Amino acid sequence: MANGFFTDTTLCIGCKACEVACKQWNELPSDGLAFTGMSYDNTLRLSGTTWRHVAFVEDREVGTTIVNRWSMMSDVCKHCTHAGCMEACPTGAIIRNEFGDVYIQPDVCNGCGYCVPSCPFGVVDLIEPFKPSAAKAAEYNTATLDRERLSEGALQSHGGIAGKCTLCYDRQRLGFTPACAKACPTESIQFGNVDDLKARARKRVERLRERGVDAQLYGVDETTSVGDLNAFFLLTQPPEHYNLPARPVLPSTHQPAGYAAAALAAAALAVAGLAIFRGR
Amino acid sequence: MPDFPVNKAPSTPAKPGAAGLDAHSGADPFIMQLDGRGQIFVANGLKDGPLPAHYEPLASVIQNQLYKQQNNPTLREWDRSDNPYNGQVNPRYPYVLTTYRITELSGVYTRYIPWLAELQPEAFCEIDPELAVEKGLKNGDYATISTAVGEIEVRALVSGRMRPLRIAKGQRVHQIGLPYIFGNFGYTSGDTSGDVIPLAMDPNVSIHEAKTLTCDIRAGRRAPRGRVAQDDAVPEPERSRDGQPLIHGREAGV
Repeated sequence: MANGFFTDTTLCIGCKACEVACKQWNELPSDGLAFTGMSYDNTLRLSGTTWRHVAFVEDREVGTTIVNRWSMMSDVCKHCTHAGCMEACPTGAIIRNEFGDVYIQPDVCNGCGYCVPSCPFGVVDLIEPFKPSAAKAAEYNTATLDRERLSEGALQSHGGIAGKCTLCYDRQRLGFTPACAKACPTESIQFGNVDDLKARARKRVERLRERGVDAQLYGVDETTSVGDLNAFFLLTQPPEHYNLPARPVLPSTHQPAGYAAAALAAAALAVAGLAIFRGR
Repeated sequence: MPDFPVNKAPSTPAKPGAAGLDAHSGADPFIMQLDGRGQIFVANGLKDGPLPAHYEPLASVIQNQLYKQQNNPTLREWDRSDNPYNGQVNPRYPYVLTTYRITELSGVYTRYIPWLAELQPEAFCEIDPELAVEKGLKNGDYATISTAVGEIEVRALVSGRMRPLRIAKGQRVHQIGLPYIFGNFGYTSGDTSGDVIPLAMDPNVSIHEAKTLTCDIRAGRRAPRGRVAQDDAVPEPERSRDGQPLIHGREAGV
Protein backbone atom coordinates (compact mmCIF):
# COMPACT_ATOMS: atom_id res chain seq x y z
CA MET A 1 0.00 0.00 0.00
CA ALA A 2 1.55 3.23 -1.12
CA ASN A 3 0.37 6.70 -1.96
CA GLY A 4 1.34 8.28 -5.23
CA PHE A 5 0.43 10.47 -8.16
CA PHE A 6 -1.35 9.70 -11.40
CA THR A 7 -0.48 12.48 -13.84
CA ASP A 8 -2.79 12.45 -16.83
CA THR A 9 -1.05 14.50 -19.54
CA THR A 10 -4.20 14.62 -21.68
CA LEU A 11 -5.82 16.87 -19.07
CA CYS A 12 -2.84 19.16 -18.46
CA ILE A 13 -3.46 22.73 -19.62
CA GLY A 14 0.04 23.98 -18.78
CA CYS A 15 -1.01 26.50 -16.14
CA LYS A 16 2.00 25.61 -13.95
CA ALA A 17 -0.12 25.93 -10.81
CA CYS A 18 1.46 22.69 -9.54
CA GLU A 19 4.92 24.19 -9.87
CA VAL A 20 3.99 27.32 -7.95
CA ALA A 21 1.91 25.52 -5.32
CA CYS A 22 4.82 23.13 -4.68
CA LYS A 23 7.31 25.96 -4.28
CA GLN A 24 5.00 27.89 -2.03
CA TRP A 25 4.14 25.05 0.31
CA ASN A 26 7.68 23.69 0.50
CA GLU A 27 9.21 27.17 0.80
CA LEU A 28 11.47 26.60 -2.19
CA PRO A 29 13.25 29.58 -3.70
CA SER A 30 13.05 30.67 -7.31
CA ASP A 31 15.73 29.05 -9.48
CA GLY A 32 16.67 32.34 -11.06
CA LEU A 33 15.29 34.55 -13.76
CA ALA A 34 16.49 33.38 -17.15
CA PHE A 35 14.62 33.61 -20.41
CA THR A 36 15.28 30.32 -22.21
CA GLY A 37 13.38 30.64 -25.47
CA MET A 38 12.20 27.06 -24.99
CA SER A 39 8.55 27.71 -25.70
CA TYR A 40 6.80 28.78 -22.50
CA ASP A 41 9.14 26.70 -20.37
CA ASN A 42 11.61 28.85 -18.43
CA THR A 43 12.44 26.44 -15.59
CA LEU A 44 13.49 23.66 -18.00
CA ARG A 45 14.02 20.79 -15.55
CA LEU A 46 13.46 19.40 -12.11
CA SER A 47 16.09 20.54 -9.64
CA GLY A 48 16.83 20.49 -5.94
CA THR A 49 14.45 23.39 -5.54
CA THR A 50 12.00 22.71 -8.39
CA TRP A 51 10.04 19.59 -7.51
CA ARG A 52 7.32 19.89 -10.14
CA HIS A 53 8.13 20.97 -13.66
CA VAL A 54 5.68 21.42 -16.52
CA ALA A 55 7.25 20.57 -19.86
CA PHE A 56 5.95 22.40 -22.93
CA VAL A 57 6.79 20.16 -25.88
CA GLU A 58 5.86 21.70 -29.22
CA ASP A 59 4.50 19.00 -31.52
CA ARG A 60 5.72 19.96 -34.98
CA GLU A 61 3.91 18.63 -38.04
CA VAL A 62 6.23 16.34 -39.96
CA GLY A 63 8.28 18.17 -42.59
CA THR A 64 7.00 21.64 -41.64
CA THR A 65 7.57 24.30 -39.03
CA ILE A 66 3.89 24.28 -38.11
CA VAL A 67 3.11 23.57 -34.48
CA ASN A 68 -0.50 22.72 -33.81
CA ARG A 69 -0.33 21.87 -30.14
CA TRP A 70 1.71 21.56 -27.03
CA SER A 71 2.32 18.26 -25.29
CA MET A 72 2.34 19.35 -21.70
CA MET A 73 3.54 17.13 -18.92
CA SER A 74 3.93 17.91 -15.26
CA ASP A 75 7.06 16.01 -14.30
CA VAL A 76 7.80 14.97 -10.73
CA CYS A 77 9.87 12.48 -8.70
CA LYS A 78 8.62 9.02 -9.66
CA HIS A 79 9.01 7.49 -6.17
CA CYS A 80 10.23 4.25 -7.83
CA THR A 81 9.63 0.77 -6.46
CA HIS A 82 13.40 0.21 -6.69
CA ALA A 83 14.79 3.66 -6.08
CA GLY A 84 18.33 4.32 -7.33
CA CYS A 85 18.80 7.28 -4.99
CA MET A 86 17.85 5.20 -1.95
CA GLU A 87 20.31 2.43 -2.91
CA ALA A 88 23.12 4.94 -3.36
CA CYS A 89 22.57 6.93 -0.17
CA PRO A 90 25.44 6.13 2.25
CA THR A 91 23.96 7.89 5.28
CA GLY A 92 20.51 6.32 5.21
CA ALA A 93 19.01 9.77 4.74
CA ILE A 94 16.81 8.53 1.91
CA ILE A 95 14.11 6.29 3.27
CA ARG A 96 10.80 4.83 2.22
CA ASN A 97 8.34 6.46 4.56
CA GLU A 98 5.10 5.09 6.00
CA PHE A 99 3.22 6.23 2.89
CA GLY A 100 5.48 4.15 0.63
CA ASP A 101 7.22 7.19 -0.77
CA VAL A 102 10.92 7.88 -1.22
CA TYR A 103 11.80 10.64 1.22
CA ILE A 104 15.06 12.51 1.85
CA GLN A 105 15.41 13.30 5.54
CA PRO A 106 16.85 16.81 5.43
CA ASP A 107 18.43 16.52 8.89
CA VAL A 108 20.31 13.31 8.02
CA CYS A 109 21.43 14.15 4.48
CA ASN A 110 25.05 15.34 4.40
CA GLY A 111 24.98 16.53 0.81
CA CYS A 112 27.43 13.96 -0.62
CA GLY A 113 25.47 13.90 -3.88
CA TYR A 114 25.72 10.14 -4.57
CA CYS A 115 21.99 10.06 -5.21
CA VAL A 116 22.21 12.62 -8.00
CA PRO A 117 23.75 10.38 -10.70
CA SER A 118 21.96 7.33 -9.28
CA CYS A 119 18.50 8.54 -10.27
CA PRO A 120 17.54 6.98 -13.63
CA PHE A 121 15.29 9.99 -14.33
CA GLY A 122 17.63 12.80 -13.30
CA VAL A 123 15.23 14.01 -10.63
CA VAL A 124 17.37 14.45 -7.52
CA ASP A 125 19.72 17.40 -7.38
CA LEU A 126 21.82 19.17 -4.79
CA ILE A 127 20.56 22.45 -3.40
CA GLU A 128 23.09 25.24 -3.34
CA PRO A 129 23.88 26.35 0.22
CA PHE A 130 21.83 29.39 1.09
CA LYS A 131 24.05 32.29 2.13
CA PRO A 132 22.03 35.45 2.43
CA SER A 133 24.13 38.58 2.23
CA ALA A 134 22.83 41.89 3.47
CA ALA A 135 22.69 43.17 -0.11
CA LYS A 136 20.89 40.04 -1.34
CA ALA A 137 18.45 39.99 1.54
CA ALA A 138 17.04 43.32 0.39
CA GLU A 139 16.29 41.77 -3.01
CA TYR A 140 14.47 38.78 -1.59
CA ASN A 141 10.79 38.89 -0.95
CA THR A 142 9.23 38.22 2.43
CA ALA A 143 8.77 34.52 1.69
CA THR A 144 12.50 34.18 1.20
CA LEU A 145 13.26 36.09 4.35
CA ASP A 146 10.84 33.84 6.18
CA ARG A 147 13.08 30.94 5.21
CA GLU A 148 15.61 32.05 7.78
CA ARG A 149 13.02 32.25 10.53
CA LEU A 150 11.39 28.95 9.58
CA SER A 151 14.68 27.13 9.08
CA GLU A 152 14.01 24.58 11.83
CA GLY A 153 10.93 23.33 10.03
CA ALA A 154 12.33 23.47 6.52
CA LEU A 155 15.97 22.41 6.54
CA GLN A 156 16.18 22.16 2.76
CA SER A 157 15.81 25.92 2.65
CA HIS A 158 19.37 26.20 3.97
CA GLY A 159 20.67 24.15 1.08
CA GLY A 160 23.83 22.08 0.97
CA ILE A 161 21.77 18.89 0.81
CA ALA A 162 19.91 16.92 -1.84
CA GLY A 163 16.38 17.88 -2.66
CA LYS A 164 13.47 16.36 -4.51
CA CYS A 165 9.71 15.89 -4.20
CA THR A 166 8.75 14.64 -0.74
CA LEU A 167 5.26 13.83 -2.01
CA CYS A 168 4.34 16.45 0.59
CA TYR A 169 5.21 14.15 3.49
CA ASP A 170 4.22 16.86 5.97
CA ARG A 171 0.84 17.40 4.32
CA GLN A 172 0.18 13.66 4.10
CA ARG A 173 0.86 13.29 7.81
CA LEU A 174 -1.81 15.90 8.40
CA GLY A 175 -4.15 14.06 6.06
CA PHE A 176 -3.91 16.68 3.33
CA THR A 177 -3.56 16.15 -0.41
CA PRO A 178 -0.10 17.16 -1.70
CA ALA A 179 0.06 20.79 -2.78
CA CYS A 180 0.40 20.14 -6.53
CA ALA A 181 -2.56 17.77 -6.73
CA LYS A 182 -4.61 20.16 -4.62
CA ALA A 183 -3.78 23.10 -6.89
CA CYS A 184 -4.33 21.27 -10.20
CA PRO A 185 -7.48 22.83 -11.69
CA THR A 186 -8.17 20.03 -14.20
CA GLU A 187 -7.38 17.05 -11.99
CA SER A 188 -4.54 16.20 -14.33
CA ILE A 189 -2.59 15.38 -11.16
CA GLN A 190 -4.46 12.91 -9.01
CA PHE A 191 -3.25 11.78 -5.62
CA GLY A 192 -4.24 8.64 -3.79
CA ASN A 193 -3.53 5.00 -3.16
CA VAL A 194 -1.42 3.75 -6.04
CA ASP A 195 -3.57 0.65 -6.62
CA ASP A 196 -6.73 2.76 -6.83
CA LEU A 197 -4.99 5.21 -9.11
CA LYS A 198 -3.77 2.43 -11.39
CA ALA A 199 -7.30 1.06 -11.74
CA ARG A 200 -8.55 4.56 -12.54
CA ALA A 201 -5.71 5.09 -15.01
CA ARG A 202 -6.39 1.83 -16.86
CA LYS A 203 -10.04 2.80 -17.22
CA ARG A 204 -9.01 6.20 -18.54
CA VAL A 205 -6.66 4.60 -21.11
CA GLU A 206 -9.48 2.33 -22.28
CA ARG A 207 -11.85 5.25 -22.69
CA LEU A 208 -9.25 7.30 -24.56
CA ARG A 209 -8.44 4.42 -26.89
CA GLU A 210 -12.14 4.04 -27.67
CA ARG A 211 -12.04 7.67 -28.79
CA GLY A 212 -9.03 6.92 -30.97
CA VAL A 213 -6.38 8.50 -28.73
CA ASP A 214 -3.15 6.54 -28.65
CA ALA A 215 -2.85 6.59 -24.86
CA GLN A 216 -0.42 4.55 -22.80
CA LEU A 217 0.63 4.37 -19.19
CA TYR A 218 4.21 5.04 -18.18
CA GLY A 219 5.38 3.44 -14.98
CA VAL A 220 2.66 0.79 -14.66
CA ASP A 221 3.36 -2.95 -15.11
CA GLU A 222 6.98 -2.09 -15.86
CA THR A 223 9.52 -4.81 -16.59
CA THR A 224 12.48 -2.48 -16.12
CA SER A 225 14.92 -2.72 -13.23
CA VAL A 226 13.31 0.36 -11.69
CA GLY A 227 9.96 -1.36 -11.45
CA ASP A 228 6.60 0.36 -11.19
CA LEU A 229 6.52 4.04 -10.40
CA ASN A 230 4.46 5.41 -7.53
CA ALA A 231 4.11 8.57 -9.56
CA PHE A 232 3.09 7.34 -12.99
CA PHE A 233 1.92 9.06 -16.14
CA LEU A 234 -0.60 8.75 -18.92
CA LEU A 235 1.12 9.69 -22.17
CA THR A 236 -0.10 10.09 -25.74
CA GLN A 237 3.37 10.16 -27.28
CA PRO A 238 6.43 7.93 -26.82
CA PRO A 239 8.15 8.63 -23.45
CA GLU A 240 11.18 10.19 -25.18
CA HIS A 241 8.89 12.90 -26.52
CA TYR A 242 8.48 14.13 -22.95
CA ASN A 243 12.15 13.65 -22.08
CA LEU A 244 11.42 10.46 -20.13
CA PRO A 245 13.66 7.40 -20.59
CA ALA A 246 11.86 4.68 -22.56
CA ARG A 247 13.46 1.99 -20.39
CA PRO A 248 14.96 3.46 -17.23
CA VAL A 249 17.87 1.46 -15.84
CA LEU A 250 18.77 1.20 -12.17
CA PRO A 251 22.50 2.01 -11.90
CA SER A 252 23.04 -0.86 -9.44
CA THR A 253 22.24 -3.35 -12.23
CA HIS A 254 25.64 -2.46 -13.64
CA GLN A 255 27.30 -3.63 -10.42
CA PRO A 256 27.74 -7.39 -11.22
CA ALA A 257 29.47 -6.56 -14.49
CA GLY A 258 31.54 -3.91 -12.72
CA TYR A 259 32.59 -6.24 -9.91
CA ALA A 260 33.36 -9.00 -12.43
CA ALA A 261 35.53 -6.64 -14.44
CA ALA A 262 37.30 -5.50 -11.25
CA ALA A 263 37.83 -9.12 -10.18
CA LEU A 264 39.19 -10.00 -13.61
CA ALA A 265 41.53 -7.00 -13.53
CA ALA A 266 42.69 -7.94 -10.01
CA ALA A 267 43.31 -11.52 -11.09
CA ALA A 268 45.22 -10.37 -14.16
CA LEU A 269 47.35 -8.01 -12.07
CA ALA A 270 48.00 -10.78 -9.51
CA VAL A 271 49.13 -13.13 -12.26
CA ALA A 272 51.30 -10.40 -13.78
CA GLY A 273 52.77 -9.61 -10.35
CA LEU A 274 53.50 -13.26 -9.66
CA ALA A 275 55.14 -13.59 -13.07
CA ILE A 276 57.35 -10.59 -12.35
CA PHE A 277 58.45 -11.80 -8.90
CA ARG A 278 58.94 -15.36 -10.15
CA GLY A 279 61.30 -14.08 -12.82
CA ARG A 280 63.64 -12.47 -10.28
CA MET B 1 -28.81 34.92 -23.67
CA PRO B 2 -31.71 32.51 -23.05
CA ASP B 3 -32.21 30.79 -19.72
CA PHE B 4 -35.23 28.96 -18.30
CA PRO B 5 -36.09 26.18 -15.86
CA VAL B 6 -35.88 22.75 -17.50
CA ASN B 7 -39.55 22.00 -16.92
CA LYS B 8 -40.91 25.32 -18.22
CA ALA B 9 -42.81 24.68 -21.50
CA PRO B 10 -42.75 27.31 -24.29
CA SER B 11 -46.53 27.54 -23.91
CA THR B 12 -46.29 28.67 -20.26
CA PRO B 13 -48.04 32.05 -19.93
CA ALA B 14 -46.37 34.99 -18.23
CA LYS B 15 -47.58 35.84 -14.70
CA PRO B 16 -48.42 39.54 -14.53
CA GLY B 17 -46.84 41.20 -11.53
CA ALA B 18 -44.47 38.30 -10.81
CA ALA B 19 -40.71 38.79 -10.34
CA GLY B 20 -37.85 37.30 -12.30
CA LEU B 21 -38.35 34.61 -14.89
CA ASP B 22 -42.00 34.10 -13.87
CA ALA B 23 -42.81 37.47 -15.44
CA HIS B 24 -41.70 36.06 -18.80
CA SER B 25 -43.76 33.61 -20.78
CA GLY B 26 -42.17 30.32 -21.76
CA ALA B 27 -41.56 31.71 -25.24
CA ASP B 28 -39.58 34.71 -23.96
CA PRO B 29 -36.52 33.24 -22.23
CA PHE B 30 -33.93 35.94 -23.03
CA ILE B 31 -33.09 37.08 -19.52
CA MET B 32 -30.82 39.93 -20.58
CA GLN B 33 -33.70 41.73 -22.33
CA LEU B 34 -36.57 43.54 -20.65
CA ASP B 35 -39.19 41.84 -22.80
CA GLY B 36 -37.44 38.45 -22.81
CA ARG B 37 -37.30 38.41 -26.61
CA GLY B 38 -34.19 37.70 -28.62
CA GLN B 39 -32.94 40.57 -30.76
CA ILE B 40 -31.24 40.48 -34.14
CA PHE B 41 -30.14 44.11 -33.77
CA VAL B 42 -29.77 46.57 -30.93
CA ALA B 43 -32.74 48.91 -30.95
CA ASN B 44 -31.17 51.64 -28.84
CA GLY B 45 -28.30 52.39 -26.49
CA LEU B 46 -25.37 51.83 -28.87
CA LYS B 47 -23.44 54.74 -30.33
CA ASP B 48 -22.57 52.81 -33.48
CA GLY B 49 -25.62 50.59 -33.97
CA PRO B 50 -28.04 49.29 -34.70
CA LEU B 51 -26.75 46.51 -36.98
CA PRO B 52 -23.30 44.91 -36.57
CA ALA B 53 -20.78 45.79 -39.27
CA HIS B 54 -17.18 44.93 -40.04
CA TYR B 55 -14.64 47.70 -39.77
CA GLU B 56 -10.89 47.37 -39.90
CA PRO B 57 -8.99 48.44 -36.79
CA LEU B 58 -7.62 51.98 -36.69
CA ALA B 59 -4.26 50.76 -37.95
CA SER B 60 -4.69 47.85 -40.33
CA VAL B 61 -2.63 46.13 -43.01
CA ILE B 62 -5.50 45.87 -45.52
CA GLN B 63 -8.35 47.95 -46.88
CA ASN B 64 -11.79 47.07 -45.58
CA GLN B 65 -13.00 44.33 -47.89
CA LEU B 66 -16.70 44.86 -47.10
CA TYR B 67 -17.27 48.61 -47.19
CA LYS B 68 -15.65 51.77 -48.43
CA GLN B 69 -15.63 52.97 -44.80
CA GLN B 70 -12.30 51.72 -43.43
CA ASN B 71 -12.73 52.35 -39.67
CA ASN B 72 -15.54 52.75 -37.27
CA PRO B 73 -16.55 56.41 -37.75
CA THR B 74 -17.50 56.72 -34.09
CA LEU B 75 -14.13 55.46 -32.82
CA ARG B 76 -12.75 57.69 -30.07
CA GLU B 77 -9.40 59.12 -31.14
CA TRP B 78 -6.99 61.60 -29.58
CA ASP B 79 -5.35 63.76 -32.17
CA ARG B 80 -2.32 64.92 -30.21
CA SER B 81 1.40 65.12 -30.80
CA ASP B 82 2.11 62.53 -28.08
CA ASN B 83 -0.45 60.06 -29.44
CA PRO B 84 0.47 59.53 -33.09
CA TYR B 85 -1.26 56.81 -35.07
CA ASN B 86 0.39 54.51 -37.59
CA GLY B 87 -2.21 55.43 -40.20
CA GLN B 88 -4.31 53.13 -42.31
CA VAL B 89 -2.40 50.56 -44.39
CA ASN B 90 0.95 52.22 -43.84
CA PRO B 91 3.73 50.25 -45.60
CA ARG B 92 6.15 51.39 -42.88
CA TYR B 93 4.28 49.14 -40.43
CA PRO B 94 3.60 45.95 -42.38
CA TYR B 95 3.00 43.51 -39.52
CA VAL B 96 -0.03 42.82 -37.38
CA LEU B 97 0.60 43.22 -33.66
CA THR B 98 -1.69 41.65 -31.12
CA THR B 99 -1.40 41.78 -27.35
CA TYR B 100 -2.54 39.32 -24.72
CA ARG B 101 -1.97 38.13 -21.19
CA ILE B 102 -0.12 34.96 -20.29
CA THR B 103 -1.11 32.42 -17.68
CA GLU B 104 1.97 32.88 -15.56
CA LEU B 105 1.60 36.60 -14.94
CA SER B 106 -1.69 38.38 -14.73
CA GLY B 107 -0.73 41.92 -13.83
CA VAL B 108 1.74 44.23 -12.19
CA TYR B 109 1.48 42.63 -8.75
CA THR B 110 2.34 39.16 -10.08
CA ARG B 111 5.71 40.46 -11.28
CA TYR B 112 6.71 40.82 -7.62
CA ILE B 113 6.25 37.12 -6.86
CA PRO B 114 9.51 35.25 -7.56
CA TRP B 115 7.75 31.92 -8.16
CA LEU B 116 5.70 33.48 -10.95
CA ALA B 117 8.49 35.69 -12.24
CA GLU B 118 10.80 32.72 -12.80
CA LEU B 119 8.17 31.14 -15.05
CA GLN B 120 8.19 34.15 -17.40
CA PRO B 121 11.22 36.22 -16.43
CA GLU B 122 11.50 38.57 -19.38
CA ALA B 123 9.31 40.43 -21.86
CA PHE B 124 9.04 38.59 -25.16
CA CYS B 125 7.18 38.60 -28.44
CA GLU B 126 6.13 35.57 -30.43
CA ILE B 127 6.96 35.46 -34.11
CA ASP B 128 6.72 32.81 -36.81
CA PRO B 129 9.87 31.09 -38.15
CA GLU B 130 9.43 32.65 -41.61
CA LEU B 131 9.51 36.20 -40.24
CA ALA B 132 12.43 35.28 -38.01
CA VAL B 133 14.48 34.24 -41.03
CA GLU B 134 13.42 37.35 -42.93
CA LYS B 135 14.48 39.62 -40.08
CA GLY B 136 17.60 37.69 -39.08
CA LEU B 137 16.20 36.86 -35.66
CA LYS B 138 17.14 33.73 -33.78
CA ASN B 139 15.11 32.28 -30.93
CA GLY B 140 15.91 34.27 -27.77
CA ASP B 141 17.44 37.25 -29.60
CA TYR B 142 16.47 40.81 -28.78
CA ALA B 143 13.97 42.30 -31.19
CA THR B 144 12.78 45.88 -31.37
CA ILE B 145 9.12 46.49 -32.11
CA SER B 146 8.23 49.96 -33.32
CA THR B 147 5.09 51.92 -34.04
CA ALA B 148 4.49 55.61 -34.55
CA VAL B 149 4.27 55.97 -30.76
CA GLY B 150 7.64 54.52 -29.88
CA GLU B 151 9.72 51.39 -29.78
CA ILE B 152 10.35 48.63 -27.27
CA GLU B 153 12.86 45.82 -27.05
CA VAL B 154 11.72 42.33 -26.19
CA ARG B 155 13.12 38.83 -26.59
CA ALA B 156 11.96 36.97 -29.69
CA LEU B 157 10.29 33.62 -29.11
CA VAL B 158 10.29 31.93 -32.52
CA SER B 159 7.65 29.25 -32.74
CA GLY B 160 5.68 27.37 -35.35
CA ARG B 161 2.66 28.09 -33.19
CA MET B 162 2.60 31.49 -34.88
CA ARG B 163 1.69 31.32 -38.54
CA PRO B 164 1.43 33.97 -41.25
CA LEU B 165 -2.17 34.98 -41.94
CA ARG B 166 -3.51 34.57 -45.45
CA ILE B 167 -6.01 37.38 -45.94
CA ALA B 168 -7.61 39.47 -48.68
CA LYS B 169 -6.84 37.77 -52.00
CA GLY B 170 -3.96 35.66 -50.77
CA GLN B 171 -1.97 38.46 -49.15
CA ARG B 172 0.38 36.98 -46.57
CA VAL B 173 0.66 38.93 -43.35
CA HIS B 174 2.90 38.11 -40.43
CA GLN B 175 1.45 38.57 -37.00
CA ILE B 176 3.44 39.27 -33.87
CA GLY B 177 2.17 38.31 -30.44
CA LEU B 178 3.13 40.56 -27.56
CA PRO B 179 2.20 39.68 -23.96
CA TYR B 180 1.46 42.95 -22.23
CA ILE B 181 2.11 42.30 -18.54
CA PHE B 182 5.79 43.22 -18.49
CA GLY B 183 7.21 46.47 -17.23
CA ASN B 184 9.83 48.25 -15.19
CA PHE B 185 9.10 47.01 -11.69
CA GLY B 186 9.15 43.60 -10.09
CA TYR B 187 11.40 40.58 -10.66
CA THR B 188 10.66 40.29 -14.37
CA SER B 189 12.28 42.73 -16.72
CA GLY B 190 11.46 44.18 -20.09
CA ASP B 191 9.71 47.01 -21.81
CA THR B 192 6.01 47.54 -21.49
CA SER B 193 3.79 47.09 -24.52
CA GLY B 194 2.05 50.35 -23.55
CA ASP B 195 4.98 52.20 -25.10
CA VAL B 196 3.98 51.15 -28.62
CA ILE B 197 0.19 51.23 -28.37
CA PRO B 198 -1.54 54.52 -29.17
CA LEU B 199 -4.72 55.45 -27.34
CA ALA B 200 -7.91 54.78 -29.28
CA MET B 201 -11.16 53.53 -27.81
CA ASP B 202 -14.35 51.91 -28.86
CA PRO B 203 -17.29 54.33 -28.63
CA ASN B 204 -19.55 52.32 -26.35
CA VAL B 205 -17.51 50.95 -23.45
CA SER B 206 -14.17 52.70 -24.09
CA ILE B 207 -12.20 49.50 -24.57
CA HIS B 208 -8.67 50.35 -25.57
CA GLU B 209 -7.80 49.15 -29.06
CA ALA B 210 -4.78 47.04 -28.17
CA LYS B 211 -5.73 43.73 -29.74
CA THR B 212 -5.01 44.62 -33.36
CA LEU B 213 -2.62 47.25 -34.54
CA THR B 214 0.31 47.40 -36.90
CA CYS B 215 4.02 47.53 -36.22
CA ASP B 216 7.48 47.02 -37.60
CA ILE B 217 10.08 44.69 -36.11
CA ARG B 218 13.84 44.52 -36.45
CA ALA B 219 16.62 42.50 -34.88
CA GLY B 220 18.65 44.12 -32.12
CA ARG B 221 18.01 46.34 -29.14
CA ARG B 222 16.46 49.76 -29.12
CA ALA B 223 18.41 52.94 -28.54
CA PRO B 224 18.82 53.77 -24.83
CA ARG B 225 16.31 56.28 -23.63
CA GLY B 226 15.44 58.33 -20.60
CA ARG B 227 17.56 60.92 -18.90
CA VAL B 228 21.27 60.60 -19.59
CA ALA B 229 23.15 59.72 -16.39
CA GLN B 230 25.41 62.79 -16.23
CA ASP B 231 22.49 65.13 -16.77
CA ASP B 232 21.35 65.49 -13.18
CA ALA B 233 19.43 68.73 -13.62
CA VAL B 234 15.70 68.26 -13.14
CA PRO B 235 14.09 69.01 -16.49
CA GLU B 236 11.91 72.07 -16.65
CA PRO B 237 8.25 70.98 -16.73
CA GLU B 238 6.44 71.57 -19.98
CA ARG B 239 4.14 74.54 -19.77
CA SER B 240 0.94 75.37 -21.52
CA ARG B 241 0.52 78.60 -23.46
CA ASP B 242 -0.64 80.51 -20.36
CA GLY B 243 2.36 79.34 -18.33
CA GLN B 244 0.70 76.55 -16.30
CA PRO B 245 2.76 73.34 -15.86
CA LEU B 246 1.54 70.37 -17.91
CA ILE B 247 1.09 66.95 -16.35
CA HIS B 248 1.50 64.17 -18.89
CA GLY B 249 0.63 66.66 -21.61
CA ARG B 250 -2.66 67.49 -19.94
CA GLU B 251 -3.14 70.86 -18.40
CA ALA B 252 -2.83 70.56 -14.62
CA GLY B 253 -6.02 70.92 -12.65
CA VAL B 254 -8.25 70.32 -15.67
